[in-house]
Amino acid sequence: MNSGGMIYNILSLGVPFSVALLVAALGENFNQRAGIFNLGCEGIMSMGAFLGFLPAFFIKTGPLAAHVNLLGFVFAMAAGALLGLLFALVTVTFRASQGIAGIGLQMFGWGIAGTLSRHFVGGVTGVEGVPAWAIPGLAKIPFLGGVLFNHNPVVYIAFLMVPTSWYLLFRTPWGLKVRAVGTYPRAADTMGINVNRVRYQALMLGGAMAGFAGAYLSLCQAKMFADDIVAGRGFIAVALVYFGRWNPVGILGGALLFSLAQTLQLSIQVGGIKFPYEFAVMLPYVLVIVVLAFTRKARMRGPTELGKPYNREMRV
Amino acid sequence: MKRFLLATAATFAFVSGLLAAPRAKVRVALIVESTVDDKGWCQAMHDAIKVTQKKYGNALVEYSYSEKMKPVDAGSAARQYASKGFEIIICHGAQYKNLVLEMAEEFPKTSFAFGTSADIGPKNVFTYMPESEQTGYLNGIIAGLVTKANVIGNVGPVDGGDSARYNRGFYLGVKSVNPKADIKLAYTGSFGDFVKAAELAHTDIKAGADVLTGASQQATGALRAVAEYRDKNIWWVGQDTSQLAMSESFKVIAAASYDYTAIVEAIIAKREAKVLGGENLPLNFANGGFTYKFNEKVGPVLTPAVRKAVGAAEKDMKAGKLPIAWKEVKF
Repeated sequence: MNSGGMIYNILSLGVPFSVALLVAALGENFNQRAGIFNLGCEGIMSMGAFLGFLPAFFIKTGPLAAHVNLLGFVFAMAAGALLGLLFALVTVTFRASQGIAGIGLQMFGWGIAGTLSRHFVGGVTGVEGVPAWAIPGLAKIPFLGGVLFNHNPVVYIAFLMVPTSWYLLFRTPWGLKVRAVGTYPRAADTMGINVNRVRYQALMLGGAMAGFAGAYLSLCQAKMFADDIVAGRGFIAVALVYFGRWNPVGILGGALLFSLAQTLQLSIQVGGIKFPYEFAVMLPYVLVIVVLAFTRKARMRGPTELGKPYNREMRV
Repeated sequence: MKRFLLATAATFAFVSGLLAAPRAKVRVALIVESTVDDKGWCQAMHDAIKVTQKKYGNALVEYSYSEKMKPVDAGSAARQYASKGFEIIICHGAQYKNLVLEMAEEFPKTSFAFGTSADIGPKNVFTYMPESEQTGYLNGIIAGLVTKANVIGNVGPVDGGDSARYNRGFYLGVKSVNPKADIKLAYTGSFGDFVKAAELAHTDIKAGADVLTGASQQATGALRAVAEYRDKNIWWVGQDTSQLAMSESFKVIAAASYDYTAIVEAIIAKREAKVLGGENLPLNFANGGFTYKFNEKVGPVLTPAVRKAVGAAEKDMKAGKLPIAWKEVKF
């Protein structure tokens, strides 16, 4: 294969492979902008992957059969929002340590999804999933058509979430409240903003998006469910929020960079280029660490109260 | 030749040890990192123990298992089994080696087993090693004969253990029938990342591969990716016969699988003979450790020439006439 073909393949595969990371990181960004650090993203994605998969696995006939994928995404988002609510209860109302609660949520989501899968599904198995939908006209544009406009519809929805999230955060009163409670909750409280309520809302939205990301894995990317299907992508999503400097556009850049690096390393191996595979496999992760190291100086752009529970009765 | 004769003698000695059924009740525990229904690595050992239990009867073989055991957690489970008096504890994975060696010292009357490994362990530790180059070789013959593009993809987990043997056997099998074929071997770096295995399979297919294979439980992800090309002549040769029963089986030309029954029965029999460990047990076609099945549902792609070539190679392997020099393959 020539280098042009290799670049085309890397780009056309890297774009859809970035979606789960992108959506989960956009959701995590709402959490962190509100001052809550949710390490449980991985667990919520596991539950989303399982519940997203379930309707497609069970419903093969009848009027609902044509809508199993939509139903799966709805279930996944609802479960994600509920887990976000649970996390809010623990970290916002009970003011538990966010790091420990996040790890607990990760284990809870992963364990419950695996257990329910064992009970209801029985073992590793696949579904038809969401088919590709080439956008008429645009898909025929040379090179760009295949890279950007020849994917499953969820890819397009996911990329539309970037400007939507940006608008929500930076151009709406609710977004201003989210940023306020994550940066200076006492001032927000003084201005009459209900800090806890806004944090609950942000965590539920972030949870729903993590559930959506999980369902993407099981319905669009792998088209199957297995216990370990998320395989650390929830943690990468958390890192991508730092990488993207708490900005949806930056997060998009991070998700694409990680995913393209992943596809690049696979293409290097498949292309037979002599390179130790252990280093190739490490490449995307090393890249994220290197970039994270350089983003430290931009720390002040992030929510300054991230990770700190808010107690209005506590003296400062 | 001398090495070959020794291997044949070892296989006969191994098989002859299978005849002895336990006289008294034996308790067997299994510790796995995935689950016993993963349609792959862990399920193969679980199924073998269940078959042995059925053969000898529940009165003679008691069986218990622990799933999702990371090496750091497995110590607690293994210690509990040993303390409760389980005579045989199988820790199914090379990652448990340190744990097993530590436990073997603490419980010298318990037989431990782990694999894949070619090590000869302490006197109460068995190791086992599937000679996967044999199944890889058969799958390679099919891939080499079936490919039209002369490009073949191999979705590898890591370059180690039985996967390393499988990949090299596969390479030799392809080259034995189609020396010009380009084999694209790449690794995900994981045994259980189904999504990454699917990504790698898509990358292979985009690079022109029309026959793919892959070892370990993650291979199901790669097979699922192949199944997405429903109307294209892109095929899969598998390393687990449970793939023949999956909804993606319309893409699977044939599959091999490990039958650990020979290993489990050998450990029980050797314990009966007061041998608690200190041996490496092979798994191959000659001792019934591998099964190989064609998928009759795939249609004309499974030609008589393919059947004949595979059948002949399998027969030679069973008779010990086809040694596979997998160690000589350098990637």
